Amino acid sequence: MKKVIGIALVALLSSVSAWSETPEEKGLAIAVEADKRGEGFGDSQVELKMVLIDSKGTEAPRDMRVKTLEGLGEDGDKSLMIFDTPIDQKGVAMLTYTHKEKSDDQWLYLPALKRVKKISSKNKSGPFVGSEFAFEDISSQEVEKYTYKYLRDETYDGKDCYVVERYPTDKYSGYTKQVAWIDKAEYRALKIEFYDRKKALLKTLENKNYTLYLDKFWRPGLSEMKNHQTDKATRLEYKGYEFKVGLNDKEFTKNSLKRAK
Amino acid sequence: MKAPIAISVFLSAITLSAASMAELSMTTQLDYESTFFGADSQIGENEDRWNQSIALRTELYKELEGDQSITFKPFYRFDEHDEERTHGDIRELIWHKVADNFELKAGIGKVFWGVTESSHLVDIINQTDAVESLDGEQKLGQPMVQLMLERDWGNLDLFVLPYHRERTFRGKDGRLGLGRDFADAVYESSDEENHVDVAARFYTYIDEFEYAVSVFHGTSREPALGFDQTQGNVLPYYPQITQLGLEMQYLNEGWAWKFEGIVRDGMLQNNQSTLLGDISFPVFNTAGGLLVAEDEQYFATTAGFEYTQVGIWDTRIDLGWVVEHLYDSRQEEASATAFEHDVLLATRWAANDAASSTLLAGVLFDYEHQDYSLSVEGETRILNNLMLSVEARVFAPDEENPQWDFRDEDFVRLTLSYYL
Repeated sequence: MKKVIGIALVALLSSVSAWSETPEEKGLAIAVEADKRGEGFGDSQVELKMVLIDSKGTEAPRDMRVKTLEGLGEDGDKSLMIFDTPIDQKGVAMLTYTHKEKSDDQWLYLPALKRVKKISSKNKSGPFVGSEFAFEDISSQEVEKYTYKYLRDETYDGKDCYVVERYPTDKYSGYTKQVAWIDKAEYRALKIEFYDRKKALLKTLENKNYTLYLDKFWRPGLSEMKNHQTDKATRLEYKGYEFKVGLNDKEFTKNSLKRAK
Repeated sequence: MKAPIAISVFLSAITLSAASMAELSMTTQLDYESTFFGADSQIGENEDRWNQSIALRTELYKELEGDQSITFKPFYRFDEHDEERTHGDIRELIWHKVADNFELKAGIGKVFWGVTESSHLVDIINQTDAVESLDGEQKLGQPMVQLMLERDWGNLDLFVLPYHRERTFRGKDGRLGLGRDFADAVYESSDEENHVDVAARFYTYIDEFEYAVSVFHGTSREPALGFDQTQGNVLPYYPQITQLGLEMQYLNEGWAWKFEGIVRDGMLQNNQSTLLGDISFPVFNTAGGLLVAEDEQYFATTAGFEYTQVGIWDTRIDLGWVVEHLYDSRQEEASATAFEHDVLLATRWAANDAASSTLLAGVLFDYEHQDYSLSVEGETRILNNLMLSVEARVFAPDEENPQWDFRDEDFVRLTLSYYL
C-alpha cells in the first residue's frame, strides 16, 4: 500500500514539474542529459570514409582518421583529424580545441610547405573539405553552443523521440536553427535538420547503424548529410571505433599536428 | 654533399627497422611540367619559347619502436634546356624521437617559419631551391639537429645546423635566369660550408593572437651576388650574419592581420668593390647605383592582412583579399631579390568543391619605380590521383630595376601531378 502511494506521489510530482517546465527548459534538460550520457569516454579513435556525392550521383571518396580526447571541466574536447586520401592531401591534419564559452581554436597543417595555419573561427560555416558537412557540423557538440526549445514528441524510424529545436549561440554559425530528433531511450540524435541564414531548410543529417561501445557509448556507423538546395550529399562511414586507447594531451598539440601520419 | 650524421642515422634506422614489424609507407609523385614563354629570351643562349620538365618525388616513412620514426624524401628533376635545373636533392632523411618531455630530430630536414604570403623574410633554416620556383617556397634539405620543447608557456625549437647548402641558380641555358653561369661560392667564414650555424624559435598563442620570436647566427642563406670579370661568371658570396625575426598574426572576424620582420647584421651590401682574397667583387647594379655599405645592419618587414568572405553570393566559394606592404630599410641599396618598397594586392578563391579547386591571383607593385609583376596560381583535381596546376606570370619591370632582365620572361606553366 505504502509503495503504491509512493509511486502515485512520484507520478504527481513529475507531472507537476512537467507543467512548470517551459519548452526552453525541457529542451535544455534533454541536451544536458544527452551530454551526460556521453561523458566519460576518455579518448577514442576511428577511421572515417567520407564519400562526396554530386547531384548526378558521382562519388568521390576521402579517407581520414579522427582521434578525440575528452575535455574535463571547463575545457571542451580536443580532436585531431588526419587525411590519408585523396593522395595529394595525405598528411594534411587538423587540430581542434573545442571551447564551451569562446570560439574554438583550430589549426591546419599543410605538409608540402610544413606550414601550420590557424583557421579563423568565422570559417565555421564553410564546407569541410568540399563536403556537405560544414566545419561546425563535425566539431564537438558542446551543450553551451546552442540554446534550446522542446517542440513535441514524435516517432521517428520506429523510435519514440523528443523533437528539439536548437539555436546556435555563435554569430558565425551558418544556421538560424536546427531541429533534432532525439530518441527517448538512449538520447541519440537520429536526425537533424539544418536551416540556413534565410531560415530555409538547407540540409538533413541522418545518423544510422548506432552501435554501443563499452556498454555506455552509442556511436553511429553511418551518417548521411543531404543538401536539399543543391541535391548533393555526403556519406560518412565510421570504421574500427576504439575507446580508452590511452591518448593524452601530448597527442593534441601543434607539434603532434606536424608529426601526424 | 657531406652529411655524416644523416647517413649514420639512416643506417641505424635500417638496423632498427629490420627488427620492427611496423609497415613502411610510400608515396610517389610524378610531375610533368610544360612552360610557354611569351617571347624569345633577351638574355642567355636559349631562345626556346617552350620548355618541358619532369620531376619525381618520393616519400618513405617508417615508424619504429619506442616512439621513433624515419622519413626519407628524395627528389629529382629533369629539365629539357637548363642543366642547372636538372638536379636532385634529399629533401628529408630524418630520424625523429618523441620523448615525454621533448622531441628530437636528426638528419636532413625541412622547417618553415612565417605567416605572410608575399615574401618569407623570417624563414631561414632551409636554403631556397631557386631553380624550382620563383616564390622561394621550394627548399633544399638542411642537415640539422632539432630539439623541440612544448610546454604550457609555448613552444621552443633549438637548432644546430652543421652544413650550409648553396642556393641553386638557373644556368645560362635556362629561362628565368641571369643568362650567365655561376662560379663556386665564396664564404666569409674560413670553415666555408662547414661552419656550424645555430638557431632558435619560440612561438605561442593567446586566443586569436599568435606570435613567434626567432634568432639565427651563421652563414647567410641569401648570397650577395658578385660578378667575376675574368671568368664572366656570377659569384655568390655567403657572409656570416645574425638575424632576429618576429612573426605575428591576429585573427579577428574575417580578418587575419599579419606581420613579419627581421633585423639582420653582417650582410654584405652593394659594394662597389670589396676584396675577397684576390677577387675583385663589384656587384650587380641596382636602382640606387653602386654604393659602399659593408656590414651595415638593416631591417625588413612585411605587414598586411587577408580578409576572407566565407560563402560569397550564397555559393560555397570562399573569397579572400590579400594586401601586404613590403619594406626594406636598405631601400635602393637592397639586394636584387629583396622587396624594398612594394605592395601586394591579391585575391584568393577556394571553390570548396570535390576537386579542391583554388586560385590565387595577384599583382606585386613597386610604387617607387612604377613597375609590377602579375601572377596567377591555381590547381584542381582531375582524377583521384591526378592534379592539374597552372602558374602564370607577367613581368613589367622598370628599366632601372634589377628585374629588367625578366621583361621578356612572361610565361604560363601547366603541371600535371600524378600520384602513385
